[in-house]
Amino acid sequence: MKPPLFLFRHVTKRFGDRVLLNIDEFAVSEGVCTLISGDNGAGKTTLLKIVSGLVKPDSAKVQVKDVEMSWAKARAKIQRSVVYLHQEPYMLDTSVERNVAYGLRLHKEPRASIYEKVAEALRWARLDHLAHRNARSLSGGEKQRVALTRARIVNPSVLALDEPTTNMDQQSRISTYQLIDELRNEGMAILVASHDQTGFTPIADHHFQLLSGKLIEVEPAFKRSRGTNITRLPG
Amino acid sequence: MESLTDASLKALSLLVSGDAELWAIISISFGVSLQAILYTTPVALLTAYALAHFDFPGRRTLVSLFHTLLAVPAVVVGLTLYLILSRSGPFGDLKLLFTQTAMVLGQMALSFPILVAMGHSALQSADQRVWETAHTLGATPLRAMFTVMHEVRYGLFAAVIAAFGRIIAEVGCSMMVGGNILNYTRNITTAIALETSKGQFAQGIALGIVLLVLALVLNYSLSTLRHRLAMQA
Ligand SMILES: Nc1ncnc2c1ncn2[C@@H]1O[C@H](COP(=O)(O)OP(=O)(O)OP(=O)(O)O)[C@@H](O)[C@H]1O
Ligand SMILES: [Mg+2]
Repeated sequence: MKPPLFLFRHVTKRFGDRVLLNIDEFAVSEGVCTLISGDNGAGKTTLLKIVSGLVKPDSAKVQVKDVEMSWAKARAKIQRSVVYLHQEPYMLDTSVERNVAYGLRLHKEPRASIYEKVAEALRWARLDHLAHRNARSLSGGEKQRVALTRARIVNPSVLALDEPTTNMDQQSRISTYQLIDELRNEGMAILVASHDQTGFTPIADHHFQLLSGKLIEVEPAFKRSRGTNITRLPG
Repeated sequence: MESLTDASLKALSLLVSGDAELWAIISISFGVSLQAILYTTPVALLTAYALAHFDFPGRRTLVSLFHTLLAVPAVVVGLTLYLILSRSGPFGDLKLLFTQTAMVLGQMALSFPILVAMGHSALQSADQRVWETAHTLGATPLRAMFTVMHEVRYGLFAAVIAAFGRIIAEVGCSMMVGGNILNYTRNITTAIALETSKGQFAQGIALGIVLLVLALVLNYSLSTLRHRLAMQA
C-alpha cells in the first residue's frame, strides 16, 4: 500500500479554555474518500481548515513522504496540494464564469484553453445558463455548485469539502456524489465533512465521527467493493 | 469696488471665455493634486493592507496614529515641510521650496493618513473567506492581496476620492511651500486667498465655482459608491 500523501499526528487546537481538537492520527491518502461527521461545533470545519493549511493548529506534526515535520513547515506544501471548499462558499464579486476560472487564471495557461475548460465544467454543473450572472446573486445551492466547480477545476491532489451538499437539490446532490466517486477513482484524496451521512456513507472509504475532539472510526454499515454503484443510493 | 452681481457675471465670462490665467491656475491645482494622489495611493493601500491583514505588535497603535494624523491641519503640515525644505533645513540643498514638487510632497503627506485610515476600514471589512478562497485556489500572497482589494474596491475608491477632495481644497500647505507664484505654484485655493485681498473678486468667484462643482461631483461619486457598498453587503 502506498504511504499517505499527508499523515497528520497529534493535532491539537484550543479556543480559550476549550480543547476543540486532540487527534492522534489522521491520514490523507490518494484515491481515498474520508467522511467526517459530528455535531454542530464538534470541530469539523476547524479540522478541515487545519488539514488545508488555512488555520494554524496549536500543535501538529505532518508526515510527508516518510519525512516528519511541523505543521508550519509543511504548510506551503499542504496549501499547494489541498483545495478547501467553504461550508458557505464565498463568491467573488464577478461573473460565475470568472469565479470558476479564478484558479486556472493564476497559472500560465492560454485564455482560450481556460475558458474551454470553464465552459465544459459549467455544462457539467448545469450552470452554463448562469455563466455571465454575478455570482453574488445566485441561490445558496447554486453557489455551492459554483464553488465545487471552481475547486475541482484546478485538479488538486486533495479536495477538502465542507458540507458540500447542504443547500443542493436532489439532482445536484447525486451528481456531486458521482463526481466525488469519479475523482476518488482517478486518485484524488477526498475529505468530506457532512451531516449528509446517507448520501456519503456509500462512497466513503472511511467514516470518522468527531467526538470530544477525537476521531472515532465508524464501522461501515455494509462491506462494499470499490466503484460504488451510485444509482443504488438511498434517498 | 465692484458689486457682487458684476463680479459674478465677470466670473462666469472668465470661465466660459477660457481665460488663460484662470485655466492655468485650475490646471496647476489638478496637476499637483492628481500627482500627489497617484504617488501616495499605492504605498498607502499597501500600508492599509498590512495593517488589516498582519498581526504584529503595535498594530493598533499605528491604526490610531493614522486616525490622529487625519486631524492635523494643513498649515501644520506646510510648516513642517517648510522647515525641512528651507535653505537651512535638512533638505535645503534640494532647493525644493516654492516649487510644484514641494506642493506635491505636502499634499502627499496630507492624503496619506486619509488613504490609510479609510483603506484600512475598507480592507478590514473584507470577508476572511476572500483571502482563504484565493489562497486555497493557489493564489500567491500578492495575488490574494489584489483579490481582496478587488472585492472591496468601492471602499477603496471612496478613500481615494475623499483624499483627493481634501488635498485639492487645502490652502495652508500649498501657500506655505508653494508660495503662490503665478503660472507656477498658484493654484485654485491660494489664488482665491490672495487675489481676493487685492480686489480681484471675479477670478476668486470663478475659482470658487470650480471648487464647488468639483465638490459636488466628488460627493456625488462618494454617495454612489456608498450605495454600491450597501448593495454589496
Ligand atoms: N476563530 C474562532 N475563535 C473562537 N472559537 C472558534 C473559532 N473558530 C471556531 N470556533 C469554535 O470552535 C467550535 C468548532 O467550530 P467548527 O466550525 O469547527 O465546528 P463544525 O463541526 O464545523 O460545526 P458545524 O457542523 O456547525 O459546521 C465552535 O464551538 C466554534 O465556536
Ligand atoms: Mg462546519
